Amino acid sequence: MNQYQVSPAEKKFIGSHILVAILALAVGSLFGPLQAFEHAGWDFYQYLKPFIKSYYQGLTVHGVLNALVWTTFFIMGFLTFLVIFGLKRQLKNPTLNKVGFWMMVVGVVAAAIPILTNQATVLFTFYPPLKANWAFYVGLTLVVVGSWVEGWGLFMTYAAWRKENPNERTPFVAFASLITAALWQICTLGVAVEILTMLLPLSLGLIDGVDPQLARTYFWFTGHPLVYFWLLPAYISWYAFLPRQASNSKMFSDSLARLAFWIFLVLSTPLGFHHQYVDPGVPPAWKFIHSMLTFGVFFPSMMTAFTVIASLEMGARKSGGKGAFGWIGKLNWSDPSVAAQLLAGILFFFGGMGGLTNASYNVNLVLHNTAFIPGHFHLTVATAVTLSFMGISYWLVPYLTGRKLWQPKWATIQAWVWFVGMIIFSNSMHVLGLLGAPRRVPLGLAPYVPAEWNSRLFQVGLGGAILFVSGAIYLLVMLKTATNKERVESEVIVPVADSLQDVAQTPEWLDRWAPWLYGTLALIVVVYGPQLVDQIANIALTSPGFRVW
Amino acid sequence: MSTQKMHIDRYERNWMIVSAVLLVLFASAVSVAAFGMGIQVPAPEQRVNPNTVATDPNSPWSNPGLREVAPGKYDAYILAHAIPNWEYLPKEISVPVGSTVSFYVTSPDVQHGFKVQNTNANFMVIPGQVSKLTVTFDEPGTYNYICTEYCGSGHGVMYGAITVTP
Amino acid sequence: MAKKDKEEDEFRPTGTIAVLTVFVITLIAIWATIYAILVQRGGTL
Repeated sequence: MNQYQVSPAEKKFIGSHILVAILALAVGSLFGPLQAFEHAGWDFYQYLKPFIKSYYQGLTVHGVLNALVWTTFFIMGFLTFLVIFGLKRQLKNPTLNKVGFWMMVVGVVAAAIPILTNQATVLFTFYPPLKANWAFYVGLTLVVVGSWVEGWGLFMTYAAWRKENPNERTPFVAFASLITAALWQICTLGVAVEILTMLLPLSLGLIDGVDPQLARTYFWFTGHPLVYFWLLPAYISWYAFLPRQASNSKMFSDSLARLAFWIFLVLSTPLGFHHQYVDPGVPPAWKFIHSMLTFGVFFPSMMTAFTVIASLEMGARKSGGKGAFGWIGKLNWSDPSVAAQLLAGILFFFGGMGGLTNASYNVNLVLHNTAFIPGHFHLTVATAVTLSFMGISYWLVPYLTGRKLWQPKWATIQAWVWFVGMIIFSNSMHVLGLLGAPRRVPLGLAPYVPAEWNSRLFQVGLGGAILFVSGAIYLLVMLKTATNKERVESEVIVPVADSLQDVAQTPEWLDRWAPWLYGTLALIVVVYGPQLVDQIANIALTSPGFRVW
Repeated sequence: MSTQKMHIDRYERNWMIVSAVLLVLFASAVSVAAFGMGIQVPAPEQRVNPNTVATDPNSPWSNPGLREVAPGKYDAYILAHAIPNWEYLPKEISVPVGSTVSFYVTSPDVQHGFKVQNTNANFMVIPGQVSKLTVTFDEPGTYNYICTEYCGSGHGVMYGAITVTP
Repeated sequence: MAKKDKEEDEFRPTGTIAVLTVFVITLIAIWATIYAILVQRGGTL
């Protein structure tokens, strides 16, 4: 089978995204364990004072670099690859995509300077009236706008392909990538408005105050779909790559996979109030409506679970897998890319359970802003997403660079070490949260910590140490691969799975954009519109900015 | 084109039904707790000016503390502030066991959190807004209230305590 | 097409159902535990 060849220039362009992503992960991941160690009572921050002033500065570096920069760059690179490879077509306007990429790079640098000089210790949620240096907000804006520009480049490429192929079904990987990019364009409007109308003018001294409640509403308009922007590229890999990688199988249901992605587009934005259940300024009726829609967006994830697992099982049975669970052993666990993604998927089960619990309206009273929350999102963004991306990089980086993966055995070990470390870390964080421990607190020093938390705090530190080892192995493998003298023998095969059904039989309505886009916008207007209008009509720019770090 | 039907596997269809039923069950349980048992999330209570809320003599938060509004029923006006030293005012309150306390909390500076341990009182404190929830203390003991949102360098030491006397 | 349908009819995703059953039971257990904490702590109005 002859695969479409992505041009060397485009490979280099995609690879630049992955490079920035991994550099961000390298720096950001240095600080994750420091937070965990602090919880266990091993405070390294006191020795870092000349460079890093506080636990909170470290936490800001960790959150911004890992949750925002690593993810966004990896995703934009991966989506660009999937669109080009899926459509078998070069970018329509490569210059546009390059402009977008460099805007993002400049943005990261602009935001990094105030963060590293302790001028922006506002964590990755930067809630006003905390007031950071203006360069932080300019940097974030450039990252977002740069990612929009790259998205436009992808849409133009799709439009050109559609003109050339009016009757074909969009290949799944390109289709799903375009939906992910569209979702991002829609949802980031919230944070863009927040920064441009309040945070940036405040930091420049153009206005005297902001409305913190309205700012939160804008922020969470972006904040939850952001989670799907992280997650959907991992889903694409689980749907379309993992079955072939793990058991030489096919995608169990092409139509349902497409339907799931449309549901994600429609439902992932109009539910942001589920992050604001305990905000004073939002009426409970709207919170309740958003909680019901959140239950709705759980549904396509359940569909995903079935399709992906069934695809894997189908292949494993063919290679002799037996029993209710025995077939799992027949999956190709020795491939590091497979091991990483399977382990990511297993922990995502628990991430989903915690997420659904958080999202359950008043149940959130038990959990809101406790350690349960970072425990939860270290299973989702820091494992389901991050460990999957690591797994993807184990074939993608050799594909892009033409260099062999260095020591696949170490790559496999890395995935397992992450899995073990995360179980210890995340489990103890969840339990601490249920015991009442708050998030974002150096618990090693907090005056109200009862003795019964201590064993769990130790486990947080232990988990952090194990994760640190795993992160270090990952960076070593990537470094050694990028500089590997051993070249791949021939072109690396992109391990994309075929669909079990004939894709031409996929219904046409699953390949039409307009109804889904209009539906998305209509739902946003219905379930966000009234509150946005009300909060904007009653805006009170009375909160002056503070630098309290 | 429209003759193409969506293909859904029998088992997958059943799974989708199970998923839907499960989500409806969760939604129902949540609704019963919210509308049947009165376990509710905060509602808009009052808007205030954060610049004057702690100093205006007409503002209850210029004199924060506990007010008994009826036998066994209290309103607790609590100010959460980062400046100058990350604390709640008052730092300590005391009520007899069985008391019902409504917490009215606001901030004159940055965002804070307010979580009374081992109760359902857990909410954001946002400058310009007043957050309110009510809980009943049926067990004697000490209940810390702690800050759950990052509010600057002293966030980790920001807490107070309710003593529930037998 | 006919051949493919046949191939698929032969495949019963019993392992998938087993895995998802474990998932659903665990989900209900965790969710119900935390819901019970909420209810036991009582009303907020």
